[in-house]
Amino acid sequence: MLETVRYFFLRALRNMRQWPFLCSAAILTMAVSLATIATFFLIVVNIEQLAARWTQEVQVIVYLQQPPSSQKLPELITKMEQLDGVERVAFVSPAVAMERFSERLGEDAALLQGVRSDLLPASFELALHRNFRSQQGIEEIIRQLENLIPVDDLRYGQTWLERFNHFISMLRFVGAFLGGFLLFATLFIVANTIRLTLYARRDELEIMALVGATMRFIKIPFMLEGAIQGFVGGLLSLLFLSFSFSMIISRGLNAFWLTPMDFDLLFLTAPQQLLLVLAGVVLGVLGSLSSLRRFVRI
Amino acid sequence: MIQLYNVSKRYSRDSVAVNDLSLKIDKGEFVYVTGASGAGKTTFLRMLYVAERPTRGQILVDGQNITRIRSHHIPYLRRKIGVVFQDFKLLQSRSVYENVAFALEAQGKKRFEVSKKVYQALKEVGLEHRLQRKPQELSGGEQQRIAIARALVVDPLILLADEPSGNLDLGVTLEIMELFKRANARGTTVLLATHDYTLHQQFPRRVITLDEGKLVGDQRPLDSVGAER
Repeated sequence: MLETVRYFFLRALRNMRQWPFLCSAAILTMAVSLATIATFFLIVVNIEQLAARWTQEVQVIVYLQQPPSSQKLPELITKMEQLDGVERVAFVSPAVAMERFSERLGEDAALLQGVRSDLLPASFELALHRNFRSQQGIEEIIRQLENLIPVDDLRYGQTWLERFNHFISMLRFVGAFLGGFLLFATLFIVANTIRLTLYARRDELEIMALVGATMRFIKIPFMLEGAIQGFVGGLLSLLFLSFSFSMIISRGLNAFWLTPMDFDLLFLTAPQQLLLVLAGVVLGVLGSLSSLRRFVRI
Repeated sequence: MIQLYNVSKRYSRDSVAVNDLSLKIDKGEFVYVTGASGAGKTTFLRMLYVAERPTRGQILVDGQNITRIRSHHIPYLRRKIGVVFQDFKLLQSRSVYENVAFALEAQGKKRFEVSKKVYQALKEVGLEHRLQRKPQELSGGEQQRIAIARALVVDPLILLADEPSGNLDLGVTLEIMELFKRANARGTTVLLATHDYTLHQQFPRRVITLDEGKLVGDQRPLDSVGAER
């Protein structure tokens, strides 16, 4: 049994050595396709992580017509924290608001020279409970707030966030569709590449059938060949992916203004990397099988 | 060993390769299958190792009806049959040793057994000193001898040869005929398709003649042994 396995393996390796160009073409095709699909996957996963992070940070900002007096402030904060759905309340005075604005301007902070420090309105920043981080939840809180304090203006990013989540769903759908299409195209290309190899070896296949080789004996080395090519293609795709992740994805997402500084971009986990390599093996075997059906007839 | 009952092979309404052929070949016989080009010799041989299926009739080989044999049983039938072709059908990228060993490896034989039998087979055809050469480095006669070694290495019950000397000169042809004779002497049934009538004179044996797919002659020599010149 062991000798048979060794024989099949050696034959597969010999076949690959005999047709290095075709073999390389199949491997590269699989590597590029798998890397492209995995790139899509990584982009979607990271954007989803980002969206989840933002959802956690959803808050309502209540701008006040007049800042409350220092005596009334603690009572007001307590009352607001007792509202359904409110987790935490922070008061931002006009001076603090101006400081934050100045920090955001960075090098252009000199523009604020001569500007009154109480120009910006005071505000309350309300952090919400998980169950209230939705359009309905926010509307409920606003209704309660309006009964409590005179509000100049309200800001909350929920509408935008829900649109963004919708965008991610669409991105996921497009990614899955394109990924499926790409997989199919890869299978087609791999099958045709292997078909070319089999066509070049049709004499050998004919003689194998003639001397009494079973279908299994004929097919197994070619399937092994496909598996080996797929395995190498999978490993190569991980290499391509690492490169594209560090050079393109992370730079692209970090340059994107929405990415917070302390957000770590996700690469494939160890099981996912293994899955990628296994996908290559499966792709190689399926490609071989679909070509063999046409060329191997007893 | 081989029995045909009303066997026909029709490709289309106007194309009939074999027409209502019935004959019987005993174990250990040496039979020439003759006829002009297109008489049906090759089709007849191809049906014996199920490269073609008859349109009508029954074929028995070694007691087994192969007319409706299932695909996955065909390899086991072919292991009993050695086939030699006019164009040798050797693997050009493999050495002489590997070409002959192929037939045994395909049957799942162990490495030790393979190397022993391959050497014996090559010695029998006089090419044991060419083990590592590639076919393109050999003459036509040597290549055909390799093909014969490959056919005989599996100790077949039946040896089918389709115009084995078609591309070869007389001297080489006679050498090859000696190999067939020796195989036949060991008990292998030999069917040799040829339109070279001089062979019948050199090595008189039973002659089956086909014409447009029909059996038109079946002659046995008066004395088959000792009649060679």
